[in-house]
Amino acid sequence: MRDPVQIIDCTTREAVEAELFDEVTIEHFLETQKEWRPFVVAATKLLVQSGASAEIVPSHFHWDWSRKEADLRVLAFSFFGIARKEKLQGLMKLQTVGRAGRLATQKGKPLVYVDYLETAPWNIKPLMQALGKRPQFAAVGTRLIEAAVRKSLEEGFKGRLALHSLPGSERFYLEVCGMTALVPDPAKQNLLWCEFTPAQAEKFLTGGAA
Amino acid sequence: MKMNNDQAWLKKKAEQEDGCFVSVGGLVEALDQTERPANNIVPIKHAFVRFLQLARRERKLSLDQFAEKVDVDLVELLKIEADEQYTPALRTIHQIAGFLSIPEQKLMALAGLLRVKDAQFQNAAMKFAARSESVEKLSREEHSALEEYVKFLCER
Repeated sequence: MRDPVQIIDCTTREAVEAELFDEVTIEHFLETQKEWRPFVVAATKLLVQSGASAEIVPSHFHWDWSRKEADLRVLAFSFFGIARKEKLQGLMKLQTVGRAGRLATQKGKPLVYVDYLETAPWNIKPLMQALGKRPQFAAVGTRLIEAAVRKSLEEGFKGRLALHSLPGSERFYLEVCGMTALVPDPAKQNLLWCEFTPAQAEKFLTGGAA
Repeated sequence: MKMNNDQAWLKKKAEQEDGCFVSVGGLVEALDQTERPANNIVPIKHAFVRFLQLARRERKLSLDQFAEKVDVDLVELLKIEADEQYTPALRTIHQIAGFLSIPEQKLMALAGLLRVKDAQFQNAAMKFAARSESVEKLSREEHSALEEYVKFLCER
C-alpha cells in the first residue's frame, strides 16, 4: 500500500503531498538511526544542559529499530511510514492481534494497539527550537494516528485503538486526539493506557473538536 | 487507505499537534523502577560521576557513543553527569559495570544505590574525586588516578 496523504509545511502553513505506506523495511529502521538519531542527540544535549523540564526532553531515545527487524515478518504486526519526497517523516508499529479494550464499555473487545510511533525529530517543535530552527512538517503524528484508526476499522474493530503514552506525549493523546486515559499501568512501567472508543475514534476522524 | 482530505481538519489538527511530543514505545529502560536508596546512605556520587566521565574519556567516547556502547539511554547518562542528586537505574549500573569490567556491587555503592559503611571505601572515593577534578583532556595524572582506582575497586 502506498497512498497519497497531506501534511502541513511549517514554513508556508500549507498542505503538501506526502505518502503513507505500509511496506516498511529494515532500511527505514536504519534511516531512523542514521538520520534521526543525530538530531535527537544534539537537541537532547541542549535541552538537558539548559535545565529543561523532563517533560520536554525526549524519552524515546532508547528505542532500537534494528532489534525489531524480526517483527516485520510477524502477521500480528503492521507497520506504517510517512515520507515526503522519499524522506521518512514518521514511523509506526501496530499490533492487530491479541489486544482488547480496558474501558468499562469496551472491556474485552478487540482493538489495534500502537506499539511504537515516532515522528522525525525535525518535525518536533521543542527539539527544533532547542537547535534554533523551525520544525519542517506538522500533523505527521495526527496522520499516523489516523492511519491506526483506519486500520482498526479495516480489521473490524470499529476504530478502537489503544497505546501506552510516554509521559511527554500524554497531552497529544488526551487533549489533541481525545482519547480516554486509564490509571497508570503497573505492567508497563506505570505508563498511561490511553484508549479510543469507536465514538471517540469517529470524532477524531471526522473533525469533531478534540 | 483512504485518508481525510479535508484541509480545514488537517490544519486544525496540525495546530493542535504543534509543540507536542507524540512518541510511543521504547522507554522501558529509562522508566526502570529503581529501588530508591535509604536516606542514611553516604553520598559519594561525585566520585561516581567523575569516575564515569574519566572512564568514558579514557576510551575517547562521546556521551552518546558511550550510551550506545553500554546500551543505556542517553538521557539517563546526561542526567547522571548533570545532576549528582539523580539516582541511576539499577540496569544502568549493571550495564556500565559490565562494560567497564568493574564489580557491580562496588559501582552500585559508588552510585548511592547500596549502603556503604566501609570508611576506606568512602575515603578512596573522595580521594579519587578530589584528584580527578579537572574536566579538561585526560591528563597523565587523571589517567593514573583512574587506573589506580579501577585497581582498588577490582581488588577489594
